[in-house]
Amino acid sequence: MQPNVEAVQPQFRSGISGEKTGGMGFVFDDLIPDLQETDGTSFTALLELPPPQAVELLVKEDSPAKTMPLPIFPSNIALIDRASLFSVFASADNPPDRTNILSVSSSMKIDSVKQEPLEPEYHRNSSSPAVSNQSLKSIKRKEREKKVKKSSKKVVANEASDGSGEQLPYVHVRARRGQATDSHSLAERARREKINARMKLLQDLVPGCNKISGTAMVLDEIINHVQALQRQVEFLSMRLAAVNPRIDFNLEALLAVDSESSIDNSYLGMFPPSIWPEGQMNGSRQQQPWLIDGLNLPSMGRVDDTSNFITPENSLLSYDSPANSGAETLHLSQLKMEL
Amino acid sequence: MAESSNSRKRRKIDPDSQTRIQPETGPTRWRTQAEQQIYSSKLIDALRHVRRGGHGGVRDAADRVLAASARGRTRWSRAILTNRLSLRLAQINRKHKKAARPSAGKSRPRKPAKKLPPVESKVKVLSRLVPGCRKVSLPNLLEETTDYIAALEMQVKAMTFLTGLLNAGAAAPA
Repeated sequence: MQPNVEAVQPQFRSGISGEKTGGMGFVFDDLIPDLQETDGTSFTALLELPPPQAVELLVKEDSPAKTMPLPIFPSNIALIDRASLFSVFASADNPPDRTNILSVSSSMKIDSVKQEPLEPEYHRNSSSPAVSNQSLKSIKRKEREKKVKKSSKKVVANEASDGSGEQLPYVHVRARRGQATDSHSLAERARREKINARMKLLQDLVPGCNKISGTAMVLDEIINHVQALQRQVEFLSMRLAAVNPRIDFNLEALLAVDSESSIDNSYLGMFPPSIWPEGQMNGSRQQQPWLIDGLNLPSMGRVDDTSNFITPENSLLSYDSPANSGAETLHLSQLKMEL
Repeated sequence: MAESSNSRKRRKIDPDSQTRIQPETGPTRWRTQAEQQIYSSKLIDALRHVRRGGHGGVRDAADRVLAASARGRTRWSRAILTNRLSLRLAQINRKHKKAARPSAGKSRPRKPAKKLPPVESKVKVLSRLVPGCRKVSLPNLLEETTDYIAALEMQVKAMTFLTGLLNAGAAAPA
């Protein structure tokens, strides 16, 4: 295998070579006309093909490649590495091809120095620190596999579109340039993408998280926010507990405002009409029917009010009215300061 | 991957019948006024039935009402609703046995630090904060957190309003 390997090495070029000495080089020339997109780097286009087909082509012994001229020695060393490491096809079932490919790739391992200039590329490709961690791991796997711009094995149909197709039933994760296509890393990448999407939602929800970058900081903010909200709930429940014994009293007092309506005055005459702070509640009249409805208070001849119940309930309790929200935000800020 | 494909199928269906389904699912549903009104009315009802509260009686009632209005779609709401009795018992037991039982070397197994990644530890803290989400995977945990935060915000708003309402009602006739 060795002599074949060494013969194959110098044949690679960006446009793919066609020397026929090894069982490998000429194959690319076969592929060149077959490929749909040949934008100079037909090696990468080669890798667009699904593994079985590519292996077929690799295995093919007969080809018109003999007529091809000698290839130009590639100037870019990185491309040599990339070209040699087409072991993505190793995922196919054919063991002899695998050994061939692996031997080629192992021969390139000798030039391990060349791996280093590839690393910055990986870092450029990764968008988040989490992904970059993963890409670092995948670099180590690179020696065995491929840095390839190729669709994942899981794709049922061979598409040439960019981006990951997330609408299809299969997990279509496209391996970006410079990332491994191992099923493990693909699964990891899909998982990471899910996690990042959810984190984005959370960032929108928690105020002040948009400016922070980095998973740890955002998580910090989220934790702080949840703790603050829980503390607020605790505090408010304490206050409500203090007011609690007087709930019935208060609610009937609330009803007293509406005593001028058809409600029986004799019952409510005992409670003086309460004076509402207008800033806190708009449309207090509208609230009465709602409260009455919710409390099942003794019947007070509310037949006339039933018609009022339905329509005001839609506009009830305008929590977010400007005056209300002003009072409430003040209240909330007071609460926070007290906390 | 099966669950992701299922979730993708679900999300695919959603935009089609968006008018009806969208307000029902997702954290945005907590922001509607209708939700807040429903919650307030249920809360008032529940508050009248609160027992001569021990500590946090009102808080538990409020949380339960909140979980009830979640309609059982989220983990934390189901956890809150199913845990109230067991938590109560645990609290009582803890108070009784706190002085009696010494911690028999339980802290020692926890000392050796297994994992140090800060993200991991924060995720654990977060999972402890959200009820019922201790052993949940990270993407699900984040989803639960989203819903939980939205629900908590609504709860705070509603309770603030009620407090103001009742306080004003108490102050005025007095």
